Amino acid sequence: MDGLHMVGIEHAYGNTNVLNNVSLTVPAGELVCLLGPSGCGKTTLLRIAGGMEKLQAGTVTIDEEIVAEPGHQLPPEDRKIGYMFQDYALFPHLTIIDNVTFGLFRMDKAEAVKRAMEMLDLVGMAQHAAKHPHMLSGGQQQRIALARALAPKPRLVLLDEPFSGLDTNMRAKIREETLMILKHTNVATMMVTHDPEEAMFMADRIKVMGDNGKVLQSGRPADIYYKPVDEYVARLFGPMNHIDGIVHNGAIGSSFGDIKTDDAENGQAVRLLIRPEGVVLHDGKGTDGGTPVDVVSAHLLGDSSIVRCSLREGANKGAEFQVRIAGAFDAAAMGQVHAHVDPRHTFVYPHDKQ
Amino acid sequence: MVEITRSFEIEVDIIDDDHRRLVDSINEIIQALNNEQFELCAQLVPDFVDLSKQHFRREESLLAKYDYPQTDNHIKHHASLDDKMETMLALATKVADSPPAAEALRKELIFFMMDDIINEDMDFKSFMVNATAGKA
Ligand SMILES: [Fe+2]
Ligand SMILES: [Fe+2]
Repeated sequence: MDGLHMVGIEHAYGNTNVLNNVSLTVPAGELVCLLGPSGCGKTTLLRIAGGMEKLQAGTVTIDEEIVAEPGHQLPPEDRKIGYMFQDYALFPHLTIIDNVTFGLFRMDKAEAVKRAMEMLDLVGMAQHAAKHPHMLSGGQQQRIALARALAPKPRLVLLDEPFSGLDTNMRAKIREETLMILKHTNVATMMVTHDPEEAMFMADRIKVMGDNGKVLQSGRPADIYYKPVDEYVARLFGPMNHIDGIVHNGAIGSSFGDIKTDDAENGQAVRLLIRPEGVVLHDGKGTDGGTPVDVVSAHLLGDSSIVRCSLREGANKGAEFQVRIAGAFDAAAMGQVHAHVDPRHTFVYPHDKQ
Repeated sequence: MVEITRSFEIEVDIIDDDHRRLVDSINEIIQALNNEQFELCAQLVPDFVDLSKQHFRREESLLAKYDYPQTDNHIKHHASLDDKMETMLALATKVADSPPAAEALRKELIFFMMDDIINEDMDFKSFMVNATAGKA
C-alpha cells in the first residue's frame, strides 16, 4: 500500500529508551500527526523515517520499498522525501527559484526550472522567483519551503513543527494553505507538533505520544478530544475542572448533580474531569434550575471568555471552577448565575487517592 | 484500494487470512462509496464490524492458547476499539446525505484496519511467529 509504514520501531540514546515498539501507517493522501511533549520521541521517529537518524530496530517502508531495516539504510536523499522544518533553512545566497530547483539535480536544468515554477505557482509565490530569501516574510519563506519540499514529487512529506516560527495570524493562514496544497498533491504526510490545536486542525489521524516513548492513543481529532483514553490525553487541550469521588448507582455525585458514567463500576474511586466549555452558565430560569454560583472573574480572550466561578452554597461552598463561554460574559444580562454540566465534555477515569 | 502487502503481514496464517478478509470487506465498502451505492454501504459496514469482532475473538483465543504474555493488554486494546466501531456504524447511516460523513468513513476504515488492527498486532508478531513455528 502506498505511503509510509513503520513497524516495531525501538530507539535508545545510551540507556534511555525514547521509542518503545512504535508502529504507524500514513496512507498516501493522508496526514498523520505525532503529538506530544518534547522528549516523547516524536522527532526521533520522524528523523528515523527520513533517514537522518540511524534505525536501531524495526522496519521503515515507503510505497512498499523497504528504506530501513537493521543492516540496511537507504540514505535520506534516496528516499524521495520532502521536508519542511521550523527553520525553513532556505539557502540565503541562492535566489528563490534556485532554492526550489536545488533538490531537482536529477532533472535537466530546463525541466527543473519548469517544475520549480509550477510549484512556486502552486504556493502563490511565482512572482518572487528572482528574489533572495531575506527579501521575503517568514510566511512567504515557509511557502517557498513547501514548494521546495514538493518539487521532487516526494512519496512522503515530513513536517517538524513547521509553523512554530510564525506569528499567530500568519500561522493560521500558512497552515491552512499548506494543508490544502498537501491534500491537492495527495502525498503521505507525517507531522510532528507539541501544539494540540495545530494537530486537531491538520491531522486525519493523531497519534498522542507520552513520556515513555509509547503511543497513548491513535484516532481522529474528534476521538482524541471527545474520547481521550486517560487524564493525560484529556488534559492536553488545556485546563480541566476535576472532582474526585466514588461511583454510586452508575453516577458520581457532584455539586452539579449526579453525573452518570458507564466508564467505572459502583464503589470505584474515580476522577471526573470537566472541560471549561463543558460548564454552561445561565440565569436559572429554565426547567433545570442548575447550581447557583458566584462569578469571581471574567476574561475576554477574543471569540471566547474564561469565567471563574465559585459555588454559592452546599458542602463545597466557595469551591472555584473555570468556565469557557462563547463571546463576552455579560454579568448584567445574566443576573443570578447558575451552572450546569454538559456530559459530552466530562470524562471519568479510575483515580487512586494518594 | 487497501491491500495487505508484505510489510503488513503478521506471518501467522490464521491471522493474516482474517486480516485479508477484513481488507476485502473494506475494499467492497470503499467501492460502494465510490459508486455512490450508499444503501449497499450501509449494509456492508455492520458486516465489517461483525467480521472484526469475530476476528478479535479468534485472535484472542490464539494468543491465549500460545500463552502470549501480553494477551490481557491486547484484549483490552480490542475492547478499546468498540467506540470506533460505533462511530463507523453511525457514519454508515449518514453517507447518503453527507459527503463529509462518507469521506470520514473511508478514512476511518483505512486507519482502523492498518493502524488499529494490523499495527497493534505487530506487538505480538515475533512472539507468535516463534510460538507457531512448525506447530500450525
Ligand atoms: Fe488482528
Ligand atoms: Fe489484534
